[in-house]
Amino acid sequence: MTATMTPYRPPQQAGRDGFAQLVHAEWTKFRSLRGWVIAMVIGAVLIAVVGVLLPRGDSQCGTASGAACLAQVPTGPGGEAVNDSYYLAAQPLADDGSITVQVTSLTGMISAGNGGFVTPNSPPPGTLTPGLVPWAKAGIIITAGIRPGSAYAAMMVTGSHGVRMQYDYTGDVAGLPEAASPRWLRLTRSGDVITGYDSADGKGWTEVGSVRLAGLTGTVQAGMFAASPLDFTPNFPTYSESGGSTSASVATGTFNDVDLRGGAAGGRWAGQAVGATGANYAGPRIGLRQAGRRFTVTGSGDIGPVVAGMVNSSYDTGTLADHLFGVFIGLLIMIVIAAMFMTVEYRRGLIRITLAASPRRGRLLAAKAVVIGLATFVLGSAAVAVAVIAGSRIAHNGGIYVLATGWPVQARVILGTGAMLAVASVLALSIGTMLRRSVVAVAAVVVAIVLPYILGVSGVLPASAAEWVLRVTPAAGFAIEQSVPQYLQVIGHYGPPDYYPLTPWAGLAVLCAYAAAALGLAAWLLRRRDA
Amino acid sequence: MWTIGRNQLRAEWTKLTTEPGTAWILAFLCLLTVAVGAATAAVTRCGAGTGSAVDPTRVSLTGIEVGQAVVAVLAVLVISGEYSTGMIRTTFAAMPRRWTVLAAKAAVLTAVVLAVAVVTVAASLLAGRLLLTGNGITAAHGFAVVSLAHGPTVRAAVGSVLYLALVGLLTLGIATIVRDSAAATGAVLGVLYVPPVVALFLGSDPAWQRWVERYTPTNAGLTILNTTGLHGEVISPWAGLGVLAAWAAAALLAAGVLLRLRDA
Amino acid sequence: MEATIEVTGLRKRFGSKLALDGMTFIVQPGQVTGFVGPNGAGKSTTMRVILGLDAPDQGSALISGQPYPRLRRPLSHIGAMLDAAALQPGRTARNHLLWLAHSQGLSGRRVDEVIELAGLTSAARRKAGGFSLGMRQRLGIAAAMLGDPPVLMFDEPFNGMDPEGIIWMRGYLRSLAAEGRAVLVSSHLMSELQDCADHVIVAGRGKVIADTSVAEVIAAVSGDRVMLRTGSPSAAMTVLTRAGATVAPAGRDTLAVTGLASEQVVARLSESGVGFSEISVHRATLEEAYLELTRDAVEFRAQPSRPVQPAKEAVR
Repeated sequence: MTATMTPYRPPQQAGRDGFAQLVHAEWTKFRSLRGWVIAMVIGAVLIAVVGVLLPRGDSQCGTASGAACLAQVPTGPGGEAVNDSYYLAAQPLADDGSITVQVTSLTGMISAGNGGFVTPNSPPPGTLTPGLVPWAKAGIIITAGIRPGSAYAAMMVTGSHGVRMQYDYTGDVAGLPEAASPRWLRLTRSGDVITGYDSADGKGWTEVGSVRLAGLTGTVQAGMFAASPLDFTPNFPTYSESGGSTSASVATGTFNDVDLRGGAAGGRWAGQAVGATGANYAGPRIGLRQAGRRFTVTGSGDIGPVVAGMVNSSYDTGTLADHLFGVFIGLLIMIVIAAMFMTVEYRRGLIRITLAASPRRGRLLAAKAVVIGLATFVLGSAAVAVAVIAGSRIAHNGGIYVLATGWPVQARVILGTGAMLAVASVLALSIGTMLRRSVVAVAAVVVAIVLPYILGVSGVLPASAAEWVLRVTPAAGFAIEQSVPQYLQVIGHYGPPDYYPLTPWAGLAVLCAYAAAALGLAAWLLRRRDA
Repeated sequence: MWTIGRNQLRAEWTKLTTEPGTAWILAFLCLLTVAVGAATAAVTRCGAGTGSAVDPTRVSLTGIEVGQAVVAVLAVLVISGEYSTGMIRTTFAAMPRRWTVLAAKAAVLTAVVLAVAVVTVAASLLAGRLLLTGNGITAAHGFAVVSLAHGPTVRAAVGSVLYLALVGLLTLGIATIVRDSAAATGAVLGVLYVPPVVALFLGSDPAWQRWVERYTPTNAGLTILNTTGLHGEVISPWAGLGVLAAWAAAALLAAGVLLRLRDA
Repeated sequence: MEATIEVTGLRKRFGSKLALDGMTFIVQPGQVTGFVGPNGAGKSTTMRVILGLDAPDQGSALISGQPYPRLRRPLSHIGAMLDAAALQPGRTARNHLLWLAHSQGLSGRRVDEVIELAGLTSAARRKAGGFSLGMRQRLGIAAAMLGDPPVLMFDEPFNGMDPEGIIWMRGYLRSLAAEGRAVLVSSHLMSELQDCADHVIVAGRGKVIADTSVAEVIAAVSGDRVMLRTGSPSAAMTVLTRAGATVAPAGRDTLAVTGLASEQVVARLSESGVGFSEISVHRATLEEAYLELTRDAVEFRAQPSRPVQPAKEAVR
């Protein structure tokens, strides 16, 4: 009978056996487990909801509230929000010319701050003590006008950073280092090009920098100025937002041998407080005094960009990163699911069925990585987009000035954070493959990815340790959330959530390196081990 | 009644000690906690501007923040490992009084964690003291000393040991409620690690921030590690540990009720 | 109180599915009681309710007159094996039995006794995760016998046993019953139960369909059949049909005759001079009886196998 029996041939054509089919199979496996899908969606929803709800603003300013308070925020030529308040003693300069001055001294007073630790020895808030904050400024300036936000270039002596040339709020060039008085400063204008020089003796001049300022046409103001910004002392030398005391300050520059070329003949130096509403100290000391050929200008305030983390007295600032507080919660959920995506195969020997269907193990791991990475990227990016766009809009309506909301920055934050979530998920999948047991894998994944972020951000560790953690561990990926640049010339709290030790793409690259290494190791282990 | 309790204790003790993973997890708990504490102490330097803001005892005990995850893993395995294999039915057939089974598991887990925690905390403090004095953080420079003759340090040491045990109990309760081992691990680690960061970001809402800092398990519980700067804290050390104890008790209570009501 | 399991009016619903719908029976001591039924009939659910693991919506289950939670040292009243794979794989077999023993106040000595009883002495110190199916079944039986209980309950104990193990198991179950214990065994392997069960409870759709001795169940169904091999099947068919039997062809030269005892068949054929080469009596089995009884109660029926179709087109 067996001789006449024909072998069985399946009537259907065999399906194709490629990587795309494998990905399709893994996607079916993933989406058919309702609990996982729900958990991923919950993670995304949490990112979006937390981002939209926090922070909200409720500024009041006189009779107006909310977004109306932001109408008077000065913006510089580059479009960024700026602080622009100082005391100016100037004359109009109609055409090309120069101003040269000798700064004989720079002194200041600091008003004891509030908001810090109160100890028995600390003076009551408001007491003035002599002292210079690091970025106290006095020098010469050529500015398009006294409207806050005008284009300018200035040469100045600072409290502890030597001579510097600053222009258009974000530009900063170092000149002579911290040296004893006196110092000579010069600014020359030629059309819309301004060049700054400094000298230690008034005879040999070194060019510090030369800039072309758009908008510096026609009559400009040239003269002496003094300003002194709010100083910030953190309570703890840790990396987190732990609060600190802010001190108002005032600086006095003494100028000799003031030489203005190109001004009106017989012009008089007129003093005025520019951007008075932005000054952090107001009092009788502010102003211009003249004694023969010596001028003393006392002023308060800052000329520079607004950075996140700085205490700004007249309006609240925020950044896009402020709306990303929910990301680490969504991350926690997504990496748990990613780890489970592989460990669940090892329960009850499901891995054997999977490997019988798809024996090429490297491809299997790759297919799983593609599925979980794409799902996380899409959900994560969508959630972050909602959080950032809707959240910043709501914050703006509440009176918070959201810094750096240009489209390129927003796109980078949204897609970059989505990518960070996806890469972290792939890392978690790899760890799950290596460890196999779900409880241990989930714990390992949380400890490796989320815990360093928490340790670095929450102020538990000293500053150096926290910084190290945020550079070297997978938590470096959070740096992609940064949206505002740091400025050396502005004192502020440069820490999370607005600032991280690494630049955005560098941080993401660190996380990618971990994920790639883990994926490679996981693939190797998967191939070697018995199922 | 007492006989029943003794049998269940003995059975759960045998269960825990005959599972080979237990010894590895406990060893890892000790190693990881001491290592993290030592690493933190090694990078803490006496530099200009640090002032008296460095709390040497707290720095030495930084590892507790990480070690609690290992305690959580152990506690999840103690209960969820039975659910995933179906052995829970054998357990409840042998010991139908489910409350006492939970109590026996809690007692055995606590005993084991306490024992290892004592060794771990002692080793952490010792390592921290050696490394910090090497870095210049000594009494001569005005810092608090890591020494068991110092009252607050003793409180921090005892409190840390109790903290780890309470984390284990909290986890046992949550894992009994959730049952699935991976989901339970995720849930517990979320409860432990998420609120502290949430508190940071509630700066615009100080009332909520204060509530989160005072009444969530890790925020409140970890205050026991502090020996300096206490007037700046939102809750006193022992009260903080009490908050954690309340959370653990509530979790175990809910777990016991659900255990009775649900099918095995 | 006599060693019995008494289940009365159990009702339990899981979501939308009614798993138990008035399940009622008594398991008596001194005999092996088979508990059979199609998949989904409620056998495992009933066993879990008996052990107090699942709570019924209505009804009660008593072991020797007491509800399970009221039993002190329950494993010395009833020993059960529900799922042999319910072990943590890292633990050795002996340690698994050890914690169970400790929970009843028993010592390691009793553990070694039951290990020997179940034939696991050589494997006792190996990790349970590496056990084969059959060894896990033996471990489950060892666990059930730890407390030396008068009532025993096994869920599919024959699964995974090799032929030697099945023979051992049959004999063991019979010896347990002979000691006066009440033994409840659920199984799908009717042939095994037929040789060791004295009483059978047939369940279907959450209730009891039949609750009698094995002999009665078989006798109540179909009856005996006589298989006949003959050179002249048509002649034999005519003769036997005239004698009142029902005859059906069963192969080229074989006939199946029902309704007539074998002696009568022989007599009729010899009278009429119809030759035959072979005659055998085919007794209805417990399996056939069961299939007929539960025909209506089956919930999950696989597709009957279809004959192979030749390929429509050659594979390119």
